[in-house]
Amino acid sequence: MKVLLMGHPNVGKSVFFNRLTGANVTESNYPGTTVDFTKGYMKIGDEDAELIDVPGTFSLDPKDKAEEVAVAMLHENKDAKVICVIDASKIERGVYLALEILEQGYPMVIALNMWDAAVDKNIRIDINNLQRILGIPVVPTVAISGEGIKELTTRLKEAKPVEIDDIIRNAGGLT
Amino acid sequence: MEKKLSEMKYEEEGTVTDIEETLRKKVAGMGIRVGKKLRMVTKQPIKGPVVVVVDEANTSLGLDVAERIILEIKS
Repeated sequence: MKVLLMGHPNVGKSVFFNRLTGANVTESNYPGTTVDFTKGYMKIGDEDAELIDVPGTFSLDPKDKAEEVAVAMLHENKDAKVICVIDASKIERGVYLALEILEQGYPMVIALNMWDAAVDKNIRIDINNLQRILGIPVVPTVAISGEGIKELTTRLKEAKPVEIDDIIRNAGGLT
Repeated sequence: MEKKLSEMKYEEEGTVTDIEETLRKKVAGMGIRVGKKLRMVTKQPIKGPVVVVVDEANTSLGLDVAERIILEIKS
């Protein structure tokens, strides 16, 4: 199984990567570009999975080399599952990217990272409602302390493709 | 009163009323869309970027982008 770690730049993807893979890390150079991505291995239950740390991107509408790599990697790994890492205090932009990826049919779990920082900012997120609307697992995490990481890996098996129309319906329609 | 984002003063707040069509997708990924409340916090000199707060998070926009976003300024 392949798992792609995706999200905006600077949301903690690489911290997740190190947490999830431990020390078993290999660095590779993506052909044709100057941008690196990192690959490692992890166990999900009894299954070995390849985890790929995709360069940060704001959208699937690439504006620079790193974003082009991110989009290309997504398209080259059609069978992959996606862990979408979102900065919990910047949830709208994060969900925007998550929706773009879901729209392409990838099974996904969302990590609402930096949950502690969002709590400090008095940002409250209704996780259950968000899960209901999106139809995928949403897990609050603090990657640097390891909080939520275990739940995230166990819930990866619940990741499944969802229809955007269902999300729109669950959200109560378009405004 | 309506203003371009690039014309906002420090700490001025407003609600986005219009975004140039071609720009909409680009700024949506930054959390900016029609109906959103913004506060301008910094303008960098020499035609530098404009920094706004949207949903408690900072976002910087190039001046060329800021010129194409219209807001109703809170008085």
